Amino acid sequence: MPATRRRTMQRVELLVVKNLIWAILALVFLGFSVTLPNFFTLQNVHFVLYVASAIGLLVFAESLVLISGSMDLSVAHIAGLSSMFVGALTIRWCPFLPGWTGLVLIVIVGAILGSINGFLVGRMRINPFLVTLSTFLMYNWLTFYINRGAISDVSPALVFPGGGRLAGIFVAIPIMLLVCALLGFVLTRTRFGGYIHALGGNSEAARMLGISLPWMNFWVFTIAGVLAGLSGLLYIGYLASIPSTIAGGDDIFLAFAGAIIGGVSLKGGEGSMTGALGGVLLLGMIDTGTAMTLINPALRGFLNGLILLLAILINKYRIALRDKLLMSRPGAMGMPA
Amino acid sequence: MSVPRNTGERPLLALQSIDKWYGEVHALRHVTLQVNSSEIVGLIGDNGAGKSTLIKVISGVVPRDGGQIWWKGRDVSLGSVREAQALGIETVHQDRAVVGTMSVARNIFLGREPTRGIGPFRVLDRERMAIEAERLLSDLRLHISSVDQEARFCSGGEMQGVAISRAMHFKASLVILDEPTTALAVTGVQTVLSFIRRLKEDHIACIFVTHNLHDVYAVADRFLVMARGVVVSNIRRDEVTVEELVQMQLAGKAVA
Repeated sequence: MPATRRRTMQRVELLVVKNLIWAILALVFLGFSVTLPNFFTLQNVHFVLYVASAIGLLVFAESLVLISGSMDLSVAHIAGLSSMFVGALTIRWCPFLPGWTGLVLIVIVGAILGSINGFLVGRMRINPFLVTLSTFLMYNWLTFYINRGAISDVSPALVFPGGGRLAGIFVAIPIMLLVCALLGFVLTRTRFGGYIHALGGNSEAARMLGISLPWMNFWVFTIAGVLAGLSGLLYIGYLASIPSTIAGGDDIFLAFAGAIIGGVSLKGGEGSMTGALGGVLLLGMIDTGTAMTLINPALRGFLNGLILLLAILINKYRIALRDKLLMSRPGAMGMPA
Repeated sequence: MSVPRNTGERPLLALQSIDKWYGEVHALRHVTLQVNSSEIVGLIGDNGAGKSTLIKVISGVVPRDGGQIWWKGRDVSLGSVREAQALGIETVHQDRAVVGTMSVARNIFLGREPTRGIGPFRVLDRERMAIEAERLLSDLRLHISSVDQEARFCSGGEMQGVAISRAMHFKASLVILDEPTTALAVTGVQTVLSFIRRLKEDHIACIFVTHNLHDVYAVADRFLVMARGVVVSNIRRDEVTVEELVQMQLAGKAVA
């Protein structure tokens, strides 16, 4: 094969390998469109995005923490506890509070819950798995302690972000996309974002170059808390009530799954928000698609697990292939240019 | 202790009676030393002699427990890496201070990236980083195909070069190289030694920590031999042979 053609081939391969999640997404979309008569409609695409919004924010939160080289088992329960606490506060304990205060409060409560993780990981230097395992249990059971059952008389202001529409479009969708864009910008264009990557890639190097690990850990977990609080807000609107199981069940595992399917590395230092968005959309599409086939809901849960496993396997080969392609690029590592 | 080659100017760096404890371990015992500008000092000694601890103190990674440090005649605390960097002390920590998943350009500027924008709304100046990185690497005659390449695809010598370009860019007056040749093949060692000669040409002083005397002997002006947390010998290169230095390293004391 002539050298120029080989080079073009490699460039194409590299492009596909780097954006594999979008190729998978397109395939799954095609698969559902062919097998389900009502899948390929604008209305359904809209619905897929809507379904993905609340869990999407959890995936973004988890991605951020994973890129920084930690993990957060508690994000889903931060979403649950902050929405339950703010719901109970604005509706039961202090009904005189205007509804919109809940929007601010839910983010603040999320930030506080996240900052507790951040303090313990960053300042106290405790393993993030152990820290967030503890807060996972605490936040979950505090939610049940505040209210066993559902708060259903939620104020319209709290329901609007997750359930309302503007010009026919669910508000939750632009919220999720905007948050994704903002996080992507921070990660790729700011010093702070670079330090998140550096922390996850080689924390010892980051420390020796004068980056404060306690400070970085604190803010990463706090931002994850803010995102979880926002996610809780979207869940309230989606469900139009606040059950004590809100953002419970599989949601924390789906947050991890979305991030990993989107190419975020469990080892830290690698991953992007565009990838994470791809993971979110895949989760949303599978959720919607399987719901339309009317298969047993238990099997849908099983399918989520199976897809995660497939994603891990694909990713393993994707990374190996990407590295091989990068290494054999003309000019790299002593290869003739 | 005699001050070698005292030309009457004040030393760049002077340490007086530095102590460092790690729990029960007395890692540095009243260490006193000086480094003059554009001088290359080889810091040698066996494992556990206190070389690493000493450079950690000088580079601000760990605080000292006692003693004083003067920088260009001024009493300094050296309490953090940032402070050391601000003074002009750059440390090249083997290849351990390179983030493999980040690009070569980003690695050179990591922690001190140029930004543009107003107030808190500042974004990375990626163009400037790329241009500067290209210039630095070609100055060092390193042929890395692209500064956007992830650092993990660099060879050991190239990574060392990335770390050394940091020191060149940020206009250091003193560069500390911690075991710069340990992980390298022969050609890599030659590359690093030529980096060090470059530093001297630019009037940058250098402390070169190594196990491998044969590497350092060719470039050093002076040697400090450490053993059990003490500087046991401070000797100019023209007063000592490699064999004598090896003996000192083994015996842990000055050999006349």
